[in-house]
Amino acid sequence: MNEQLSMRQIVFMYLFISLSPVLRQIPTALADESGRSGYLSPFWSVFLILPLASIIILLIKSFPSLNLYEIMVHLIGKVFAKLIITLYLVWIIVFLTAKMNIYSLTLQFTLMPKTRSDFFMQIMLILVFYALLRGSKTIFRFSEFSLGPILLLIGILFACAITRLRTDYLLPVSTINLPSTIKASTSVIAVGGNMIIALFFADKLGISLTKKQVKKFWFGAIFFIIFSFVITVFTFGITGAGLTARLPFPFYITVKSISFFNIFERFEVIVTLICILSDFITICISFIILMKLIQWLFGLEQVWFCFLPLAIIVYYFSYFLSSTQFEFNFLYRYIIVNMNLLFQYIIPFLLGLICLLKRKYIKKQY
Amino acid sequence: MIYIFGGLLLISFIKQKDVILNKKRNLVLFLLLSVCGIALGTVHMISPYIPSIAYSLEGILRTLLVNR
Repeated sequence: MNEQLSMRQIVFMYLFISLSPVLRQIPTALADESGRSGYLSPFWSVFLILPLASIIILLIKSFPSLNLYEIMVHLIGKVFAKLIITLYLVWIIVFLTAKMNIYSLTLQFTLMPKTRSDFFMQIMLILVFYALLRGSKTIFRFSEFSLGPILLLIGILFACAITRLRTDYLLPVSTINLPSTIKASTSVIAVGGNMIIALFFADKLGISLTKKQVKKFWFGAIFFIIFSFVITVFTFGITGAGLTARLPFPFYITVKSISFFNIFERFEVIVTLICILSDFITICISFIILMKLIQWLFGLEQVWFCFLPLAIIVYYFSYFLSSTQFEFNFLYRYIIVNMNLLFQYIIPFLLGLICLLKRKYIKKQY
Repeated sequence: MIYIFGGLLLISFIKQKDVILNKKRNLVLFLLLSVCGIALGTVHMISPYIPSIAYSLEGILRTLLVNR
């Protein structure tokens, strides 16, 4: 796993793992929180996602070739660093388990309603094991190559659906709706915070960040916001906010009504496939992060032997975490979103603040 | 499934015994994680329909909101 990564690969990975929540959770959450005006919420997320991007860049620039744990050791000391790493460990286990849950629920909801969820999870764990055997670079490469065609496909779907967009589903929106759109933006922010993966892999980025790399990172953050806006407009404009709020996978239902010049239709299978691929990559990357956290916490040289016990824990914990779509919706809305805000924003912001306060001392060191 | 996982753990231990037995810390961690996994599996096997964490939390939140 000691291979170098490029900023481009990290940005593509960030966008790839954000695909499934953007297609599946964000439209429902926005419609539920702020109704018809929910599609404006992605714009409010700019005020947190862009500062987070700048803090990640600041941390990587201040501590070149160091990962999150090493940065924390320099900033807050070993004891606090290990304590925070333990908290991150809990978060990533909950996040990973919830991802396993929603992956199996998605497959049951869309393509295979009669198949039991344990079958999907077992297949996923075998695939993840096989992918991780090839190393983290392979997973980053996979997302790098697959993202382009996927976005092209979504672009074609969007072009086919433009005539079906109903403006009465999107307008009118007044200033009265603004507070609810601000509140609803937390669900976009919670997904946008995935860019924190850059800190976990910062030690593989090389000695210094070039201007080009920084630009790519900013591009990733801005692209995410625009992409969430487009998907939400697309979903609200065709399905309507009222129905979107009640559906577990509204984008799937939206795509069902699209046809390519009345010749090709039933693109919803492709949407399911995109979500499953995104979930697969998210589970892979979460396992890598989980093993990294264990390695940092216990000071291990090798950690691959932990994969199987961790896989067993995640597999069985998924039954205890949530078992139905309703339970998952509750878990996502009240637990996962808030946990994401804490671990993807509050802790990095605190680290950024300490970094700014200690800047003179850090500059002398590096 | 728990038996399959048990067998896989055994195979994993045999295959990576050099790494696991190399340091005491590795062995303790492997055993600890394995025991946790097997314990969760056993609980699931004994009572597969126990209320999930999300369900329990939802109940607690509802109770708190009603009491308010």
